[in-house]
Amino acid sequence: MGLLEWLISLVLSPQVFAPLIFPGLITALVVLLTVIWAERKIAARVQMRVGPLYVTRRFGGVLQMLADGTRYMFQEFIIPETSDKPYFVFAPILALTLAILPFAFIPAAPGFSPVKSPLSLLGVLAVTSSVPLAVLLMGWSSGNKFAIQGAVREAFMTVAYEAVVFISALAMGIAYGTLDLEEAVLRQHLPGILLNPISAFAFFVGMVMSAGKLPFDIVEGEQEIVVGPYVEYSGIIFGIGMGLAYLKLYAFSLLFSLLYLAGWEPLLIPLYNLYPALGGILLFVKAYLVMLFVVFLRSVYGRYRLDQALRAGWRVYFPLALLSVLLSVVVRVVGYA
Amino acid sequence: MPNPLYSFPRHLRAIVTGLRYLVAPNRMTVYYPEKVIELPPGYRGLIRYHPELCIQCGLCAMICPAAAMKMYVKKGEKRGRPGVNYQRCIFCGFCVDICPQNALEMVRVHDIAYERWEDMVLLPEKLAQEPVSPALAEGAKVVRTVFSEERGLVHEPA
Amino acid sequence: MSSVSSLSGVALPEGVVRSRLLVREGGEEVYELFIGPQHPSSGHMRFIVRLEGDVIVSVDPDIGYVHRTMEKLAEGREAIKAIPLLERMTIIDSHNVTIGLVRALEKLLDVEPPPRARYLRTLLSEINRIASHLYGIGIAGIMLNHSTMFMWAFGDREVWLQLAEELTGARLTHTYSVPGGVRRDLPQGFAGKAEKAIRYMTRRLEEYKRIFLENPQVVARYEGVGVLKRHEASRLGIVGPNLRASGIRYDARIAEDYAAYSEVEFEIPTFEEGDSYARMKQRVEEIKQSMHIIRQVLQKMPSGPFFAEKYLRLLPPKLRDQVLSTGSLKFPAVFATMKLPQGEAVARAEMGHGEIFYHVISDGGSKPYRLRVVTPSFRNVILFRYLMPGHRFMDFPAIYGSLDYFPPEADR
Repeated sequence: MGLLEWLISLVLSPQVFAPLIFPGLITALVVLLTVIWAERKIAARVQMRVGPLYVTRRFGGVLQMLADGTRYMFQEFIIPETSDKPYFVFAPILALTLAILPFAFIPAAPGFSPVKSPLSLLGVLAVTSSVPLAVLLMGWSSGNKFAIQGAVREAFMTVAYEAVVFISALAMGIAYGTLDLEEAVLRQHLPGILLNPISAFAFFVGMVMSAGKLPFDIVEGEQEIVVGPYVEYSGIIFGIGMGLAYLKLYAFSLLFSLLYLAGWEPLLIPLYNLYPALGGILLFVKAYLVMLFVVFLRSVYGRYRLDQALRAGWRVYFPLALLSVLLSVVVRVVGYA
Repeated sequence: MPNPLYSFPRHLRAIVTGLRYLVAPNRMTVYYPEKVIELPPGYRGLIRYHPELCIQCGLCAMICPAAAMKMYVKKGEKRGRPGVNYQRCIFCGFCVDICPQNALEMVRVHDIAYERWEDMVLLPEKLAQEPVSPALAEGAKVVRTVFSEERGLVHEPA
Repeated sequence: MSSVSSLSGVALPEGVVRSRLLVREGGEEVYELFIGPQHPSSGHMRFIVRLEGDVIVSVDPDIGYVHRTMEKLAEGREAIKAIPLLERMTIIDSHNVTIGLVRALEKLLDVEPPPRARYLRTLLSEINRIASHLYGIGIAGIMLNHSTMFMWAFGDREVWLQLAEELTGARLTHTYSVPGGVRRDLPQGFAGKAEKAIRYMTRRLEEYKRIFLENPQVVARYEGVGVLKRHEASRLGIVGPNLRASGIRYDARIAEDYAAYSEVEFEIPTFEEGDSYARMKQRVEEIKQSMHIIRQVLQKMPSGPFFAEKYLRLLPPKLRDQVLSTGSLKFPAVFATMKLPQGEAVARAEMGHGEIFYHVISDGGSKPYRLRVVTPSFRNVILFRYLMPGHRFMDFPAIYGSLDYFPPEADR
């Protein structure tokens, strides 16, 4: 029937499929569920224990986060009297929306990106830099001293890592000669991590800072400010807040795989001919492996102090990012010669 | 800022240590209640009373530090027979150590859970019954703790 | 850190250092936080922290949440019942807590434990000290959100708790020493197990170094933070590893001759810096020394009875033979109603957290007239007031973890 065909073609078009299904919203939620479980299992392996096991016992407890999410759904969402009520409810929804926006620019396979633009790298970076504003709103509207401390820490941390991430990513833009993410993958004869390892390192550390993973989980510093900006939230909104950091991490690891790990190369032609997005499955695998490494760092590190993280961001990684720009220029000139 | 030449190798060393344990973990979890640890001899678990050896001296109730042991006097008895209130018992074993007739003994059972508050006050008749671990009653496998130089504690099937 | 130097300690000419509170409390720049008992890392107490920006201006520890009136309870019970009672003050270190009380009672009762009992007490004291230090290191790790150090320390503590369980019959609540000796003899095969445990722990301490103590991130959190100078430590009356990490070599095991410490050789490690990093390293060094002591004790263990002859001869001969053959003590009946001779006795012991001090006064009855105990955490709590100001707020859990402060012990 005309309507059904039209609906199916709508869903399968890149403009809807990529942000909504792969690698967008639904895949992001599945990634959220499994990566948190993987984090707990990895930490448990290092720490001489077993981790979550009893939900779906035979598969090692992989649906544990689904059970946790279901529980959050049924928990009462308490809105404190002393909070700024409309913004209190609005802020996490805003944060979630802003965290999903980057998927509008990220291409999953050649020719399969929702917003085809020669500036897609800039688009992703610009959109991810807006999420901390929503976290600030969360912290301020809670009306709780610990929440405000957490929001202030989020502002500080943003200042620390933004410049590093931007300049490292733009250095790769210089090395490839394009700001379009699809073109960047196509021009990677050598993976970006070998062309410009300094930029890869600086971007990686900036990514860990932005996602709030150890050693930089300063915003949710449980030992000092309870959970920081999310402290007054309960129920499903708390689940959203906790998932927010992982969504940012997911968007950044997709970016990392595209810029430094040769994206979806080698392209799986049979799958690509079946449906373009499936051809880019390798991009998703690489991004997932990067995320697993980042969550593994939790079992090795404690937390840096706020001023130490800021100092590291500006005195160590910012010069490294500038150095990587220099290296990119050299690579480009040599590549042309 | 610390010297990066000093700190970067140490960062790598910490990460490699973590990776080593990720690849070859050393888990010490015992999957209770599917497996139950066999307690060492001399373990101070629940108390068992042997009424045929008791001479009703009352020393156990006198020395109990938590006032958990009480003598229950029936008609015609002088000082009565002991009963234990597990709401108060701290499993110190003083009663067992002071009984001159070895009428009290501590069994190697520790995981009994009571469903009602009143069940925790045991009269002498109840105290004379052998306590049975509920996990063992439901068919748990027994494991024994063995010291090991590489892994610390290893739990082997008994 | 130029903004911090203006808030450092004010030294008056006589050398007295006042609390570094330079901002009038209640001023508009001061941000007051209650790190209350409902907080993931405040322990069983409350802190009223005043901040100016990110810099701590003052910290007021609010203790007393776990006060269990143990000294008063001890006045209502016979003396021997006070042993399991006071053991629960610091249950993680239970033998070191009670051995002071048992020494004080032995001085009052005028009974000396035989040599084998003294060595057995040393053995359990050192096992407890290792377990207590591992607990402290683990808590310090989790205060920095280093969950691996936390899990590893508590997992390795299981090895020592298993050893203690085989020796005494309980994992934590040993109640091992009684006036006159100890309650259980060494079981068969214990020396072999202890040797394996020591070798395992030695290897694990190297792993701790790689992932925690020499991890540059942890060093950055601990180095130069919470510096306790030598003269301040001595003036404030600090005890334990906190004191020894500031350079003062004082240990109650040397100061007072109890158990078998005068017959084994061990060193008292000290560090000069007095910062949190030195305190963490101090605990690791003390674990190594404790393992050294355990090896010597097991080698040199004398044979003989493990309970004083003065009480053993009160048992009927059948029970006495049973005690000496099974290695499990039977109390003489007089223990239930023993009267303490009139007088006072004072005893000290060295716990994992520091020196504990007992003062027992008896008026001739079976219940003590007064039992006074000064615990090491009670002495160390003043450090929250004096060490914290001038540091950044995130140094608060770092210093707290490195002090190894145990609230139930401070509140008794």
